[in-house]
Amino acid sequence: MFHRILVEDWQRALTIASFTLFFGVFLVTLLRVARMQKKEVRRLENLPLEQESHE
Amino acid sequence: MTASSQKIRIEFNDHVVRQFLVASVFWGLVGMLVGVIVATQLASWRANFDLPWLTFGRLRPLHTNAVIFAFVGNMMFAGIYYSTQRLVKARLASDFLSSLHFWGWQAIIVGAAITLPLGLCRGKEYAELIWPLNIAVAVVWVVFGWNFFWTLKRRNEPSLYVAVWFYIATIITVAVLYIVNHLSLPTSWTHSYPLFGGVQDALVQWWYGHNAVAFFLTTPILGIMYYFLPKAAGRPVYSYRLSIIHFWSLVFLYIWAGPHHLLNTSLPVWLQSLGMIFSLMLWAPSWGGMLNGLLTLRGAWDKVRTDPVLKFFAAGVTFYGMATFEGPLLAIRSVNALSHYSDWTIGHVHSGTLGWNGFMAAGMFYWMAPRLWNRALYSTALANMHFWLGLVGILLYVAAMWVSGITQGLMLGATKEAGTVLTYPNFIEAVTATMSLMHLRALGGVMYLAGFVLLAWNLWKTAAGAQTVNGSVEVPAATAAPSAMGVAGGFLNAPVLYSLSLIGCLILWGAGHGIVAGLGLWGVIAVVIGALTHQQFTGTRWSEWYERLLENSLPFSLLTAVAVLIGGVVQIIPTLLLNKADQVGEVRQIPYTPLELAGRDIYVREGCYNCHSQQIRPLVGDVLRYGDYSKIGESIYDHPYQWGSKRTGPDLARLGGKYPSVWHFHHMRNPRQISAGSTMPNYPWLFVDPTDVAALPTKLAVQRRLGVPYPELSAAQIQENVQAQAQTFAEELKNAGAEVPADREIVALIAYLQKLGKSETIPATKTAQH
Repeated sequence: MFHRILVEDWQRALTIASFTLFFGVFLVTLLRVARMQKKEVRRLENLPLEQESHE
Repeated sequence: MTASSQKIRIEFNDHVVRQFLVASVFWGLVGMLVGVIVATQLASWRANFDLPWLTFGRLRPLHTNAVIFAFVGNMMFAGIYYSTQRLVKARLASDFLSSLHFWGWQAIIVGAAITLPLGLCRGKEYAELIWPLNIAVAVVWVVFGWNFFWTLKRRNEPSLYVAVWFYIATIITVAVLYIVNHLSLPTSWTHSYPLFGGVQDALVQWWYGHNAVAFFLTTPILGIMYYFLPKAAGRPVYSYRLSIIHFWSLVFLYIWAGPHHLLNTSLPVWLQSLGMIFSLMLWAPSWGGMLNGLLTLRGAWDKVRTDPVLKFFAAGVTFYGMATFEGPLLAIRSVNALSHYSDWTIGHVHSGTLGWNGFMAAGMFYWMAPRLWNRALYSTALANMHFWLGLVGILLYVAAMWVSGITQGLMLGATKEAGTVLTYPNFIEAVTATMSLMHLRALGGVMYLAGFVLLAWNLWKTAAGAQTVNGSVEVPAATAAPSAMGVAGGFLNAPVLYSLSLIGCLILWGAGHGIVAGLGLWGVIAVVIGALTHQQFTGTRWSEWYERLLENSLPFSLLTAVAVLIGGVVQIIPTLLLNKADQVGEVRQIPYTPLELAGRDIYVREGCYNCHSQQIRPLVGDVLRYGDYSKIGESIYDHPYQWGSKRTGPDLARLGGKYPSVWHFHHMRNPRQISAGSTMPNYPWLFVDPTDVAALPTKLAVQRRLGVPYPELSAAQIQENVQAQAQTFAEELKNAGAEVPADREIVALIAYLQKLGKSETIPATKTAQH
């Protein structure tokens, strides 16, 4: 185990694994976002613009 | 009138927002002034004034802590409290907690401003505060989190706007980072040794250090950007969808990137590779966020010319883009070989802090002040002048540091005669070659500070004598409660369970051997097939779970924590396991004697790590200049590690025995006597103050508990040991014509410096077992 952590050559696997992991997260988020309803997006993006007494 | 149509008016707690705003401006002035002083010290050693509490090594931590935690911290709290109350349509949950948060934070800052110049320091960058202050920070942060989440619980708006997501990620991640990196064993009320040592400490430190930038200086300010930029532009964010991708990608990626601060060091290579790869991947979400910010100004660009608020925001977001382009660039190992330990990194950091943090703060303050004090900004012209002074100041500073850093990197790595001889063998040549750029940097800092003085004056004139006013909003008397899912509901559902199973199987597959790896692979296939089949047969809309999650802050926060912390766990846990004395390869550090340990504590107290590294990289320039490259076992007993991050002076990893003790004696008294052109301060007090021998028994006991193999020694034995070694050094110095009593700090420091690089070879049979 220690030998593996310290010296083994992980380079080839790491680059692919990192990309796969991130791309998985990215893809799921992208699909989620693409499926959001327009009406809901409009409502959410206007939350900061709602009036209060300072306006 | 029905109950649902009845409305009540909620008044926000803007008092605490005003307090944080004023505190941020005040501490910003202090932090930037100290920054100008330390910049001046790098241009002229005389600016150290031969006073211990004014030397660079003690003031630089004060500068970094002041601008990060005092200036940006207070600014962040003002922005978070102002925007959150309005986004969730609720007053802060507790006025008491809000006040406790404010006054507690200011008390910590005052404590830091007193202790750091006194040399009370943990010796880790941006984590220098002594342990009682560390506990205070953790407590006040919990107060902040409690107040924030309690406010979310009482909200009148079911959905959480994306800015609130960034705040949640900030609160959770900073808490974890801060606590883990500050784990220490005290030796007195003002001193402690970190729990981790050597490579462990280096990894934990930069996991913290990098993510302090990410989750203290970036994510909260992005939340502020997503709230205040649309407000100032009078239009919604360019793409709300993009902001969601920005959030999840950023919080997932950022935590993995810490090891890019340790490229080409003795950190295991797989960790360095992870740090580099994830840093490169950060390019995409960072630029997505920057473009989302800038494109929010679509149709409002004409206002940028006249409105100082938008001017600061537009420039601030642009600097975010520049800094987040440069960061991944510097994380490429071959680029880092040139840039690391040089001023290039300093320039990069300042384009982020001065440009992104400072300008976003200024834009937010100019936007808030007229509303919080119910009076128009005193002078738009002054605000515009602030902008131009600040902008030119940043460009001057950053450009000077780029040129200086690249010059240093090239000169210190340059070789001739087929790479066998250094072109510039004397380190001082790189110092003197970049001296004019140190003056330019100081000038840039003065200009930026002058701009900030104008901001302080402008806000003072706006607020003086004005009537403070708290914002308010009308909300329905009875708000529909979001559909509750609870903490268990956040985790015990198909999408999360399938995801966790998939990650578990991937780890087994990747990290396991033989049958374990085979099981992992089959597990991955089974989970994927299971998830697809499950969804097909049940017809479940898993997206509904996500919709509900966005209305339930507690499970949302916990899942955010999981997303953020995966990287930390993967990187840190294996490294915590490997730092055993007999697992470190062919060489192992020889523990310091009591006198050397006392000398090391003086080294840490004086902040020598701010200018000197103790890590020789496997690069031609480094090895030719300093000797064989550093091995992982050579610093395993160093609590804290002292690898450093900047070489204003040369590396010290193999300094021991390089020069006679009398060389160090004269060098510490007046560096220019030994090395003409040196910018290092004089340390006259080391020749007067006695070494603190009384503290050594406790310090050695703590070191033993940390795993350093000291034999059990009584106080009398330690005293005897110290005296004997100190006497040897004093006599050696006397014989060389330098007389000093053996009990002075300079003797202990020389003993430490002469020990640097001393290690023992571990028999091959022992290393082979592992």
